Amino acid sequence: MGIKRILIANRGEIAIRIMRTAKKMGIKTVAIRTHLEPGAMYLDYADIVHDLSHEEPEISVFLDIDRLIAVALENRCDAVHPGYGFLAENAYFAQKCAGNKIEFIGPTPDAIYKMGNKTVAKQIAGSAGIPMAMGSNGNLSHEEDAVKAAEKIGYPVIIKAASGGGGRGMRIVRSSAEMEKMFILASREAEKAFNDPSVFVEKYIENPKHIEFQILGDKHGNIIHLGERECSIQRKHQKLIEEAPSAALDGTLRKKMGDMAVKIAQAVGYFSAGTVEFLLDAEKNFYFMEMNTRIQVEHPVTEIITGLDLIEWQIRVANGEKLTMKQKDIKLTGWAVECRINAEDVQAGFAPDPGKIEKIIMPADPYVRVDTGVRENSLIVPGYDSMIAKLIVRGTDRKDAMKNLKQALDKVWIKGCKTTLPFFRMLVRNQKFLRGDFTTAFLEKDVDQYHYSSDYEEKIAAFLAVKLFVKENYDQPADDAVTGRNQEMSPWLLNKRLRQF
Amino acid sequence: MIMGEKIKHKKLYALSQTDKKHIFSIPLRESIKIGKREYPIFLKSDEKHGTYILWKNRRYPVEIVRSRQNRYEILFNDVSYNFTVETPFSMQRRTFLASSVKGKTTEIIKAPMPGKIIDVLAKEGSTVSRGEAVVILEAMKMQNEIQTPVAGTVKRVHVRPDMNVMKDDILAEIEPAVK
Repeated sequence: MGIKRILIANRGEIAIRIMRTAKKMGIKTVAIRTHLEPGAMYLDYADIVHDLSHEEPEISVFLDIDRLIAVALENRCDAVHPGYGFLAENAYFAQKCAGNKIEFIGPTPDAIYKMGNKTVAKQIAGSAGIPMAMGSNGNLSHEEDAVKAAEKIGYPVIIKAASGGGGRGMRIVRSSAEMEKMFILASREAEKAFNDPSVFVEKYIENPKHIEFQILGDKHGNIIHLGERECSIQRKHQKLIEEAPSAALDGTLRKKMGDMAVKIAQAVGYFSAGTVEFLLDAEKNFYFMEMNTRIQVEHPVTEIITGLDLIEWQIRVANGEKLTMKQKDIKLTGWAVECRINAEDVQAGFAPDPGKIEKIIMPADPYVRVDTGVRENSLIVPGYDSMIAKLIVRGTDRKDAMKNLKQALDKVWIKGCKTTLPFFRMLVRNQKFLRGDFTTAFLEKDVDQYHYSSDYEEKIAAFLAVKLFVKENYDQPADDAVTGRNQEMSPWLLNKRLRQF
Repeated sequence: MIMGEKIKHKKLYALSQTDKKHIFSIPLRESIKIGKREYPIFLKSDEKHGTYILWKNRRYPVEIVRSRQNRYEILFNDVSYNFTVETPFSMQRRTFLASSVKGKTTEIIKAPMPGKIIDVLAKEGSTVSRGEAVVILEAMKMQNEIQTPVAGTVKRVHVRPDMNVMKDDILAEIEPAVK
C-alpha cells in the first residue's frame, strides 16, 4: 500500500522541490522532458525521464490532461503531483486521475471545483459565516450588469475572473466610464488564461494587506492551519516577496483568522495543503478573498517557521495517513522571507527578460535556502514563467531576517538576464517596508524608484561608458576594420572588447 | 567626432538619462574618488563570475548591453544605465540644439517586451488621447495595454492581431497634436 511512483506534472523549481522530498521518502519520480527546455535542470532529479522533446505540441503537455494520464499509466505511476500553476487547480484533471486509479496529490475534485470557482466559493464562505467584501451575486455576462452591480456596491470595484488566480483577469474600476473597457479586458484575459470568460465584481478594499493562511488537512476530517504569510508587496497582483509570520497580526487576530480559514476548509471537506487568502484593512477587519487548492510558490516561508515539510505532508495525506499534530502543537518560530528572483527588467516595468543564464551563484549561508530550477547555461524561455530562483532567508525575528536578506541579496550573482534583484535591494533599504508599514498599494504609493542604485554605482557605470568612448574614438583598436566604427555591435563583441581592456 | 580624427580632449562628459552630468578628465584615471581618497577600479574576468568590476574589495557584475555611436547602455550591479558621452564641443552644440529646436516629432510606440498582439485598438487616422490603449500585448500570460504617451493622430499601425513581436519592435506611430 502507499504511493511508490509519482508523475511530476510540472517543471522548474517546484518539480525539483517535489522530487527532493519524494527521494527522502523513498518514492520514485517520473519527469517529462519537453522541446522547450530539453536540457532543463529538473530532469536530473527524476528517477525516470519521459522524453517528449521530439514533439512540439500546440498546448503544453503540462496542460494536456489526456496526455499526462497516458504518461502516468505508461510509466506505472500510482500518483501525480501537479505542483502549482498548469493543472494544479483543475478539478477535471483530478477527476480523471481518480478515474484511472491514479492518486492526485491534492484535495478532492469537488473541493477544487468549489474553491476554484470564486462565485461558488463566495457562496460557501457566506453560508459558513466568513466575512467578505460586498459583491455581485454570481457572474456577470454584460458590462451593463456590471455597471448596475457596481452602482449598488459603490465604486471603486474590482472585476475578477470566476476561475481566476495569480492576478490574471482582474481589473480595478473607479467609475462607470471605465467599466466597459475594463470589463472586456478582464473577461478576455480570463478566457485566455482559464478558458472561462466569466467574471464578477466586488467592492474594492483600498490599501489592504494581503494575508493568507496555510491549511493542512487529512482524509479523516482533521484540519489545522500553519499560521499566516503576508504577501502585500505585489505588482499588478503578482506577488514579489512573501514573509511569515506577518507583522500586522497578533496572537488574538491570528487565532481569529486562522479559525475562519479552517472553517472554510471544513465546509468543502478539504484535505492536503491549501491556502485561504484574506484582505486585512487598516482597522484590522478581514475579508475572505479566495482559497487556493494547491501548494503555493511561497510555501517555504511557512516550512521554515513551522519546521514542517509541506510536500511530505501532501504525500502522506494522499496515502491516507492521519495528521500527527494538532492545532496546539503548531508553534511559529522565528521569521522567514522569500524573494522571487525573476528574469524581469525592473526598469522597464518588470517586463520579462528571457535569455540564457550565463552565471549563477547563490549564497550558501546557514540562514539561506534557495529553491531554483536553473543553473549555468539554463534558458529562461518565453513560454514559461520567468522565475530564476526563490531566495528564502530566515532570522530570529523580522529585523534579523531583513538584515540577513540584505546581506544575502548582495551575494547573489546572476549574469545573462536582467533580474528583479535591484528591486529587492531597494526594498530592504526602504524604511516603511522595514517597519512593516505597507499595503498592496506600496509600490504605487510609497516607492519612487523601483531599483536600488547608489551614486557611486552610477559613477562607475559612467566611467565605463567614457572608457569605451575613449577606446573607440582615440585608440583606434585593431578590430575597427572588422566591426566598422559607429555601427551597432553585438553585446558579445562588446563584452569581448570589455575583457580586452 | 569625425572618423579617424584623433583629437585629445581634456574632458569628457557622461550624461545620464536624467541629464545628470558626470565629468571625467582625460587621460582617464582608473579610479573613483570618495571625498579625498581615490579608490582604484579594476575590470576583471574569471570563469566563475564572468566579467566584473572590483572596487573597494567588492565584485560587481558588469555588462555592456548596447553601444551605438556615443550612446552606451551599461548593466552594472544588475542595474542598467544609459549614457551619452560628449566632448566639450559636442556638449556645447547639444545645449544650442536643445534651445533652438522644439519641433514636434513623431512618437514611436515600441513593444516593451516580447509577446503576442491580442488586439489592435488604434486605427490609422483616428485621434487618440494621452494614456489611451493602442494595442493589447500578451506577454508571459499577462495581457498588457500599451498606451500612447501623447495625444495625437495615429499615423501608422505596424501590427495585426495574433502577430508575435520582439522587444522594441515598432507597434504604432503617433503624430502628436499641436498644442
